[in-house]
Amino acid sequence: MHLLKKPWIIAVGVIPALTIYLIFSILPIFISFYYSFMSWNGFSEMQFIGLENFKEVLQDSVFWLSVRNNILVVLASVFGQIPIALGLALLLNRKIKGAKFFRTIGFMPVVISTVVISITWRMIYNSEYGMINNFLDAIGLGFLQQNWLGDPTWAIIAVCITIIWQFVGLYFIIFLSALQTVPSEILEAADLDGASEWQKTRYVVLPSIWNIILISVVLCISGSLKTFDLIYVMTSGGPANSTEVMATYMYGKTFEGLRYGYGSAISVLIFLFSIGLILITTKLLRRKEV
Amino acid sequence: MSESVVNYDTVSKNARKKKRFKRSTIYLILLVFTIINAYPIFWMIMNSFKTGQEFSFDPFGLPDDWVFVNYVEAWVTANIGSYFLNSLFVGIVALFICILVGALASYFLSRFQFKGRNLLYGFFVVGLLVPIHATLVPMFILMQKLGFINTHLALIFPYVAFNLPITIFLLTSFMGSFPKEIEESAIMDGCGPFRIFWSIILPMSRPALATAVILNFINNWNEFSFALVLINDDALSTLPLGLANFAGQYSTNYTAQMAGLTMVLIPTILFYLVMEKQIVNGMTQGAVKG
Repeated sequence: MHLLKKPWIIAVGVIPALTIYLIFSILPIFISFYYSFMSWNGFSEMQFIGLENFKEVLQDSVFWLSVRNNILVVLASVFGQIPIALGLALLLNRKIKGAKFFRTIGFMPVVISTVVISITWRMIYNSEYGMINNFLDAIGLGFLQQNWLGDPTWAIIAVCITIIWQFVGLYFIIFLSALQTVPSEILEAADLDGASEWQKTRYVVLPSIWNIILISVVLCISGSLKTFDLIYVMTSGGPANSTEVMATYMYGKTFEGLRYGYGSAISVLIFLFSIGLILITTKLLRRKEV
Repeated sequence: MSESVVNYDTVSKNARKKKRFKRSTIYLILLVFTIINAYPIFWMIMNSFKTGQEFSFDPFGLPDDWVFVNYVEAWVTANIGSYFLNSLFVGIVALFICILVGALASYFLSRFQFKGRNLLYGFFVVGLLVPIHATLVPMFILMQKLGFINTHLALIFPYVAFNLPITIFLLTSFMGSFPKEIEESAIMDGCGPFRIFWSIILPMSRPALATAVILNFINNWNEFSFALVLINDDALSTLPLGLANFAGQYSTNYTAQMAGLTMVLIPTILFYLVMEKQIVNGMTQGAVKG
C-alpha cells in the first residue's frame, strides 16, 4: 500500500472505469425511475402522469402472473440446481476413472450461448419432431406425449427444466472445488473412528462447505432472476402468457406496445424486486449461519 | 482355524461385492448425468446432417448420408459470416476496453491507500447485483439520446460496464496479494505509478488477466438482451441475435436451424475444451472467493 502525494494521479487511474460504469450501469437505473412517471411512446411529446404507470402495472393480472413465474423459476433453480449439483459433486468427489471427463461434460452447457440452448430445446420439445415425444413413442410410452411448449400447463415446467439443465454444471463444479478444500486429516480421523460414508458426509463434509452452499444459493437466485433470453427465445412468454416473466412482460409492453414510460415503471419494479429478494436471502442465510 | 479363514474370506468377498456394486451405481448415475448433458447437443448436431425428410421420420440415429445442404442454406440465408465478424469485433473491442480501464482502476484500488478506497471498490463490486434486464428500457432511451442505436457502440459500452464489476473484483484481489516490496525498488529508481503499473504489476497479473479476458469474452460472445434491444439492423447483428432471428424466420426448417446452431456451437465448444481450466476458474472463482 502506498500513499501518493499527488491524489490526481489516482483520479486519472480510476476515472475511466468509473465513468463508463456510472453512465452505462448505474445511470440507467435512475433514468428508469425518471421515465416511470411519464407517458411516452418514443415520438410524441412526453407527459408527466405521476404514479399512473405503477397503478396500471400493479392492477394488470398478467404482471402478477409474470411475478409468479419469476418466483417459480427461482424456486426451480434453487431446489433443482443446488441439490442435483451437490449430489453429483459428492459422488464424483473420490478416486474415479474418467473424473475429468465427467467434469468437462458436466460444465459444458454453462458456456454455451443461451440462444443456442433455447433454440435447441425448442426443437427437443417440439410436439411432432422433438426428441422427447419421439423418445416416449419409441419406448412405448406414447400416451405421455405432450405439446410441451404449446400447452400452458406444461410450458412453464418445460422452461424450468431447461433452466435447471443449463446451470446445474456451474454449481456442480463450484461444489467439486469446494469439496477438495475439505481437510483430509479430518476425514481420515473419521475413518479411524469407523464413521460410515453417510456420517462423514453429514457431519464433516457438508458443514465444512456450508458457506459455499449458501453463496451458491444466493448466486442461483440472482442468476435465475436474470432469466430473459431463454424464455424470450423459447416461448416469448406464451402460450397465453403462461411463461411470461417480468422481463418478457416488460419487453413486450415497451417495444411491441411502444410504451416507454410504462416499460420504465416495470423496470423499476424488476429492479426493486431483484434487489429486495437478494437482500432478504442474504440476511436470512446469514442469520442461519450464526 | 481353517473355518475362521473361510469366514474371513466370505466376509471380504461380500464387502468387495458391496463395494463393487456401490461403485457401479456411482458410475451409472454419473453416466446418466453425462448423457443428459451431452445428448441434446449430439442429437442436434447429428440431425443437422440429415435432409428434412430423413429428420422427420428418423430423428434419432445417425444420418444415412451426411448432407451439407442445411449448412449451405444456413450460411447463405442467415449471414452467419457477418454475424460472426460482428460478434468478434464487438466482443474483442469491449473486452479490450474493459480489461484496460478495469486493470488500471484495480491497480489503484489495490496498491494505494486513499480516502474512500473501500467505498469505491464496494461501489464497483455491487454492480454484480444490478439486474441487466432492468436496464434494457432505460438503456434503449439512453442510447437513443446518445445517437448510438444501431451502431456497435451501443453494445460495446454496456458490455464494458457490465463486465467491469467482475473484472475489478478478480484483478483487485489478485493485485492486492503482491507483497509491498514489489514497487519499492522501482520507486527508488524513480518510476512513476503508471510506469510501475505497465511494466511491473500488469505483467505479474497475467494469470488473473487471462481469467478476466476469457470471462469477458464469453459473456460478450453469448450476450443477447442488449443486442435485441439496441440493434435493429441485420448487418450489425451479433451471432446470438442473428441466430434467434434466423430461427424465428425459418421456424419450420428444423434441419437448417440445427446447421446454423452447430456452426455457432462448434467454435464455442472447441474454445471451451482448449481453455477449460481458465474458463471454469473465471466462472466459479467469484463464488468460491466471494
